[in-house]
Amino acid sequence: MVITIPNDIKSEFEGYDYIITWINKYKDVKNTEIIFDFSRVTFLEANLCALIGTIFEIIETGKNKISLQNIKPQVEIILRKNEFLIPFGFSKILDNNGTVLIYKKFTPNDDLGFNNYITTQLLKKPQFPSHSDKLGKEITRNIFEIYENARTHGQCDFIHTCGQFYPKKPDKPLHFTIVDKGVNIKQNVSAFFNIDLNAADAIDWAMKKGNTTKTGDTSGGLGLAVIFEFIKLNKGKIQVISSDGFYEYKNGNVTKKRLGSIFEGTIVNIKFNLNDLNHYSLGNEDEYFENIF
Amino acid sequence: MKHLLIKDIINSELAVSTENGEKVFEVVDFYLQKKEKVELDFSGITIMITAFLNAAIGKLYGKKEYTPEFLNEYLKLENVEKEDRSLFKDVIQRAKEYFANKEDFEKNSNNAIYGDD
Repeated sequence: MVITIPNDIKSEFEGYDYIITWINKYKDVKNTEIIFDFSRVTFLEANLCALIGTIFEIIETGKNKISLQNIKPQVEIILRKNEFLIPFGFSKILDNNGTVLIYKKFTPNDDLGFNNYITTQLLKKPQFPSHSDKLGKEITRNIFEIYENARTHGQCDFIHTCGQFYPKKPDKPLHFTIVDKGVNIKQNVSAFFNIDLNAADAIDWAMKKGNTTKTGDTSGGLGLAVIFEFIKLNKGKIQVISSDGFYEYKNGNVTKKRLGSIFEGTIVNIKFNLNDLNHYSLGNEDEYFENIF
Repeated sequence: MKHLLIKDIINSELAVSTENGEKVFEVVDFYLQKKEKVELDFSGITIMITAFLNAAIGKLYGKKEYTPEFLNEYLKLENVEKEDRSLFKDVIQRAKEYFANKEDFEKNSNNAIYGDD
């Protein structure tokens, strides 16, 4: 079976809608040799590898064998630099510009592996605000919050991540994507309230401070809210896709839409603005820290 | 007074997982149960997230004997970077709400099952 990948899939509503419809079309195929044909692809947003890797995980669940063909040289270079093509027999090309965060998948208990990934792929990159800079620290904190959220709530087999810096653009964005194929946010929130919620509304609910589906002897409900508040200050962008819900915050606006089909997992795609001159003094930092309890 | 270095308890500079937060909670709880004062030292921690703090600090509010007055007297937080302090405030406020609601929720559930008189 040959599947032709269209050109220029973007991390926008239409792009996700297209990819997720397409996953659902092929997710029940079993014991088949599937060839992905890249001949039409002239550009690929590198961080979308986290989503493509998740699709491959879904397809491999059906004991299918995946191979790739007709990858254009400019696309191949990106996908060898970020190591996405390594399992398909390609060798690594060194990323001399330091703009790539390699594609990697983690098991949910591999927090040491993820720590190591963030240290080598992000904190040590010359493009990244230096470690003493509060912006760099806030970005790192937010990435760990997303990862921990996927680990805690997704009950997934793997967490796929990938990222890319664009230092030549005016806002010097860092795009970072985390995808898990596990329990989606709609399932978690609907089970918590025991009602069938609209998926985009469930995501919206989960983004607010204090809202959590966690029960038991540990409190929750801050992780996504902390990220959301930071993205607002940073003038970045966050997209969360879970079940058939699409949620996006950018330029001060929230957009909620319904996808044409259901994604059995969660995609978090964030654009951090590295050309951010805010100081993140967070107002009350000099406050007396005694008697905090 | 027991001095506890977080970095040594979790064997990392990154305080980023619920599990590591629980390790810290266990150790702090051990000494507080003995009514020994604890200095919890965050020096060397470079990144900290709410999930870690929910488990390490927030979970203390799940124990009724750890009132805010008790914790203020017996638990001192040291070397917390200024920019991390607002996280503590959020986590502590959230834990207080969560465990207050949890108690109400459990009381109401019991009342629904067993009656309230």
